[in-house]
Amino acid sequence: MSDVLLRLERLEVVYHRVITAVQGVSLEVPRSGIVALLGTNGAGKTTTLRAISGFIGLDDARVTEGAIVYGGSRIENRAPHRITAHGIALVPERSKVFENLSVAENLEAVVPRPGADRRRLAESIYELFPALARLRAREAGYLSGGERQMLAIGSALACAPDLLLVDELSQGLAPVIVEELVGRLRRVRAELGTTILLVEQNAHVALDVADYGYVMENGRVVLDGTPERLRAHADIQEFYLGAGGGERRRSYREVKQYRRSRRWYG
Amino acid sequence: MQLAVNIAVLAAIYALISCGYVLIYRATRVLSLAHGELMMLGAYGLYATASLFSGHPVAAVAAAGVLALAVGVLVYFALMWRMTGESVLAAVLATIALGILLRGLMALAFGTQTRHPLAELGWTNASIAVGEDAFVSGVGLVLVLATAAVYGLLFAFLRFTRWGIRMRAAGQNPLLAAQRGIGLHGIYALAWGLATFTGGLAGMLIASDAGLESTMVVIGLKAFPAALVGGLDSLAGALLGSIVIAAAEVLMVHHVDPLLSDVVPFFILLAMLIVRPWGFFGSREELDRV
Repeated sequence: MSDVLLRLERLEVVYHRVITAVQGVSLEVPRSGIVALLGTNGAGKTTTLRAISGFIGLDDARVTEGAIVYGGSRIENRAPHRITAHGIALVPERSKVFENLSVAENLEAVVPRPGADRRRLAESIYELFPALARLRAREAGYLSGGERQMLAIGSALACAPDLLLVDELSQGLAPVIVEELVGRLRRVRAELGTTILLVEQNAHVALDVADYGYVMENGRVVLDGTPERLRAHADIQEFYLGAGGGERRRSYREVKQYRRSRRWYG
Repeated sequence: MQLAVNIAVLAAIYALISCGYVLIYRATRVLSLAHGELMMLGAYGLYATASLFSGHPVAAVAAAGVLALAVGVLVYFALMWRMTGESVLAAVLATIALGILLRGLMALAFGTQTRHPLAELGWTNASIAVGEDAFVSGVGLVLVLATAAVYGLLFAFLRFTRWGIRMRAAGQNPLLAAQRGIGLHGIYALAWGLATFTGGLAGMLIASDAGLESTMVVIGLKAFPAALVGGLDSLAGALLGSIVIAAAEVLMVHHVDPLLSDVVPFFILLAMLIVRPWGFFGSREELDRV
């Protein structure tokens, strides 16, 4: 990969000084690329994103080993608002909008990167998500799931980021809405040139939009490759794309996990 | 008529104090129990600047205002800043300790006798006729006007300015606010500064009207039920709560017994906590955080 915007080098994250949630994760996100991070619940995907976007005191988590290199400088353990000022914006998994503020206020509250043109940004966000322009005065707590996700992406874009981190784009949303949102993300990359790191449980969605994918299990990256390669992989087919198995797959899950671990870790 | 005037002045006092409780709680989710002491510190600040700038009363008042604002910001950076990430209880206990410390220090520095900052400024507190049979003191009138101005400005600040919107955002979801580029410490310090300024202003006006003594803290404490009755995270609630508490207090004192003055606010508070614990306008889910 030629121009790497973000690189994680053997990243390790520890919660409450004892619980290791991410162990030795390395990955690269090329400039203007869309990279997917796949994995089941508790695999450490969200923690990885939070480590990149910065923890606050309330989290009681720290990057203890390794490095997060963004645009040539190391950013691990910086305060989130400084990381945002650096050009990284996160669309979080839960509580992603300020519910008691209106849509317009949600966008207004954002502190964009120094030098960003606020008005042009707002225009391009409303152009990208016409629904938000229509709902400008609506309190964000009354938005539907899809509208809320649009507002979350919109207000992250209002930070004028070079790198957009998206945590669980598809969670809890109808497939048709997910498809629409994926289309918007493609436009974000095409029109604004924004690089995107997408965390997903839904492999269909992730492999559909990404140029490259990483698979995480138990806090480690166990597999990576192009969408074609990942789609062709037997375990991805079985565990993430739901091919074959059906009900039986669930009951044999433990056994499979063991077999898979043996294969991957050698 | 005189009763209505008394209610208005007392409601203005409570409202001017209680908006500080609301500002700090709303932005930082911490209940500041040092607010009464900080209010009294504002009053002593005016007394000190009045003797310092003797002959220039306007400069003295302006200096006292700036001082109150600065004290609030200082309290945040010296003490409350370190409480970020700790439990809310630890932060509340820290404010209690701060309050006791301040009370002691003020007694040491200024003694316990009654002071009159207004006389120190060279101004007198004229009595103004309202209608035919009612009077309001000049300072009382200023109190009502100042409270109206403070509430008007605070509403406009929180609703229409970018910093105000950010303050609301940070109060609702600090993590997301930080992720959206908002520096939380700046916002929190601003909330402490504004709250201490409005509290200090209340202290200065009360001291100018009735003299400055160490029992003033009780008034700050009585404004606390006003903020809670209204709902701790709502300015409109604090205003309504202040009117309710003031009306009940003035009417009880007039019709029943003057000694009830210190009892009524807390009686109403307890009744409210039983019937509607989140207050008139407070959000319901906030309750468990106090």
